[in-house]
Amino acid sequence: MPDLVRMSAIGKRYGGVQACHEVDFVLGAGEVHALLGENGAGKSTLMKILSGDVTEYAGSIAINGAPVRFGGPTDAQAAGIAMIHQELDLVPGLSVADNIFLGRELRTPVRTVDRRRMEREARELLDRSGVSLDPRRPVGELRVGEQQLVTIAKAISLDARVLIMDEPTSALTSSEVERLFDVIRELRTGGVGIVYISHRMEEIAKVADRATVLRNGKFVTSFDPRELSTAEVVEAMVGRPVQTMFTTPDSDTGDELLRVENLKLKARRPRPGRRDPDGISLTVRAGEIVGLAGLLGAGRTELLETLYGVAPGGSRTGRILLQGKAILPRGPRHALAQGIGFVPEDRRTSGLVLFHSILANTVVSSLPSYGRLGVIARRMERAASTRMADRLRLKFGRLQDEVGTLSGGNQQKVVFGRMLLTEPKLLLLDEPTRGVDVGAKAEIYRLLGELAAQGLGVLLASSELPELVGVCDRVVVLRDGRDVASFSTADSGEGDLLAAAMGHLDVEGVQ
Amino acid sequence: MTDVQDRVAAPAEKTSVAATLFRFQSVFGLIVVFVAAIIFSPRKNGEILFVSADNLANVVRAVSEIGIIAVGMTFVILIGGIDLSVGAVLGLAAVGSAVLMVENDWGFLPSVVLVLAIGLVFGALQGVATAMIGIQSFIVTLAGLQIARGLARIWSGGQGVAIAYGDGPKEAPTSFALLGERTFGGLVPIPVIIFAVVAIAAVVFLRVSAFSRHLYAVGGNEKAARLSGVPVVRVKIAVFAICGLLASLAGIVHAVQLNQGSPNDGIGYELDAIAAVVIGGTSLAGGRGSVAGTVAGALLLGVLNNILALNNIDSNIQLLIKGLVIVAAAALQRLRPTS
Repeated sequence: MPDLVRMSAIGKRYGGVQACHEVDFVLGAGEVHALLGENGAGKSTLMKILSGDVTEYAGSIAINGAPVRFGGPTDAQAAGIAMIHQELDLVPGLSVADNIFLGRELRTPVRTVDRRRMEREARELLDRSGVSLDPRRPVGELRVGEQQLVTIAKAISLDARVLIMDEPTSALTSSEVERLFDVIRELRTGGVGIVYISHRMEEIAKVADRATVLRNGKFVTSFDPRELSTAEVVEAMVGRPVQTMFTTPDSDTGDELLRVENLKLKARRPRPGRRDPDGISLTVRAGEIVGLAGLLGAGRTELLETLYGVAPGGSRTGRILLQGKAILPRGPRHALAQGIGFVPEDRRTSGLVLFHSILANTVVSSLPSYGRLGVIARRMERAASTRMADRLRLKFGRLQDEVGTLSGGNQQKVVFGRMLLTEPKLLLLDEPTRGVDVGAKAEIYRLLGELAAQGLGVLLASSELPELVGVCDRVVVLRDGRDVASFSTADSGEGDLLAAAMGHLDVEGVQ
Repeated sequence: MTDVQDRVAAPAEKTSVAATLFRFQSVFGLIVVFVAAIIFSPRKNGEILFVSADNLANVVRAVSEIGIIAVGMTFVILIGGIDLSVGAVLGLAAVGSAVLMVENDWGFLPSVVLVLAIGLVFGALQGVATAMIGIQSFIVTLAGLQIARGLARIWSGGQGVAIAYGDGPKEAPTSFALLGERTFGGLVPIPVIIFAVVAIAAVVFLRVSAFSRHLYAVGGNEKAARLSGVPVVRVKIAVFAICGLLASLAGIVHAVQLNQGSPNDGIGYELDAIAAVVIGGTSLAGGRGSVAGTVAGALLLGVLNNILALNNIDSNIQLLIKGLVIVAAAALQRLRPTS
């Protein structure tokens, strides 16, 4: 009997990046196949090809032995392939039942929507998944975990033969995870093939029959997850042996600048996909670059937002001390006045006014200092902007050019420059080199080194492990909104970070 | 080497010429309409009626109220908002001026100060509703329109209050009447001077103040502005307060020009003001535009109205033409080169 899915020699190139190269992937009926790899290893690309989201690729796909080539997601769905995306694609204002049947609403004989039948069938589906949810409730009211369960119920309702789950448990409680596993086992018994993407080793060991590791777009190994140790799996993912060495932080940097003690934030209105701090403690010394590592949804961005005072409202416990003084960040103005600067993750939506000038974008945070009584001395602001452009080696034509005409790296430098003009003591950076070319990346690293040498403290959140290891003095690993490990980068590597982020190392008592 | 540099430099210059053209789109539009007005102007004894000093002064006087409102509207639209209440606030201010001075026998200065304060506070409250509660400004000011109109009806007793001048009871001070006079040899109406002062002050303010940088930043990308430490809430409240203040100033000018304050004054003025702003090249999405453009837009509409009236063109046809001009101005903006 032919395999349910056979992908052979799959290749995909995005510009200069080879996302997939000669990858073979086989999924049998009734098999749960885990797909592992670092960010950028090619897992998503491979699955997007299988689900019809990506239609230009090299290689071939056969379903039950018959070659197929999907022209789009609709073709894939018709062939019985369903994907549960990590970003929940639900309509918040519609009810659970409406969401499950969105686009294929059940009709009465007179072609109106048969709400009663949809609700009944939705209830049956949810029961099958072990979820007790009222199908009439608007999805926007549900917890993230519940929303995740709705997407899973929706995928099951498609009667798919192949189900792709991308990190389906990232927001589920442990009892919800157990129920999801029951559903997965039931589907497996029914002959459904399941691709299970996750970073959580304990889940994979529990539910998967087989696991495949990708690295840099290439197939590395395939194994039975019950037979290999986590260390061996991580080694396969990173490509180097894992050396586990914990050390206390370097003490030859300056005085303690930031101390966070058991910081917890309980949002009044929890938002989908957010992981607010749930007991984080860390310190940053003057002149020290501290990295924040963690998987997607570990709560890195949320920690930085809490420190900058822009996290959603809620009750906060624990303490934040800046130079030994307890502070309660109330918002950007307040944080900047205290000497805390923030470079957000997405410079296009949160950092810049793209159609405003380089000048206007650089000086906006430090405006009152270029004149008196609210009148701007143009000469002073030009001088400040020029000085910053020189210092950052900004490549630009004129200061009045729109900032959107610059390259990504130079745009990022403008955001940096804006913060530096406020003369901060502590800089919070969220993925500062995302979408930045190699040359600009190197310059940003050089700048960080310079700033640290001048006594600035830096807290840098990044998903790029080489960046964390290469740039930071120390890296704090977050998982599920908690700090779980702290490494000196002098004697630990990417593998340690990844292992801690995935939660396989016992890190009790480690500082 | 120089060859390459020239080739690189040339397109940059071309785009900057295009950018300048688009930036002053409404000024060029004004020139075109102005020249057309001269060509199509009726003549009397060889004199071109349109360019007579008297007629030109009238053109500007006719747009001074809309112009003053449109300056405030520009501020609101620059932060990505809209203010539909300005016409009603104008009515409220006109009624207030008349009632205070005629029925309550208030003096000139206290009346004007109170009326301006009412506009300021009314605008600020709308700013609070949109900035702190987070209701869209369209909705807030739609409600504000109804409320201001209702207040004007209550205050006036539902009908127009005529203004007579003199020193006796039930008469407004003659100093108030001066606002409707002409100066510079009886040539320039005072309302025109008020409009000019407001416009110049606004242009200068937007050029030199730190506040204006914040204002453009809020309109350009509110999230980025907030993360950069811009006091977004304060900026929004201030902008709506300025717009309310200018609407009530226009109401005072309106009252003195018509010698009355009626609760029905200023109906639909908000739409003319928005039209002037849009023709002036200010983006309804916020963050891009200028008061100078708005002034040119208001004048363009004034010239257009004037020349059509001089030629005795039916007022309904005037509406059609005005509509087409607005669409044309908006269409031109779509062609604007963007990054």
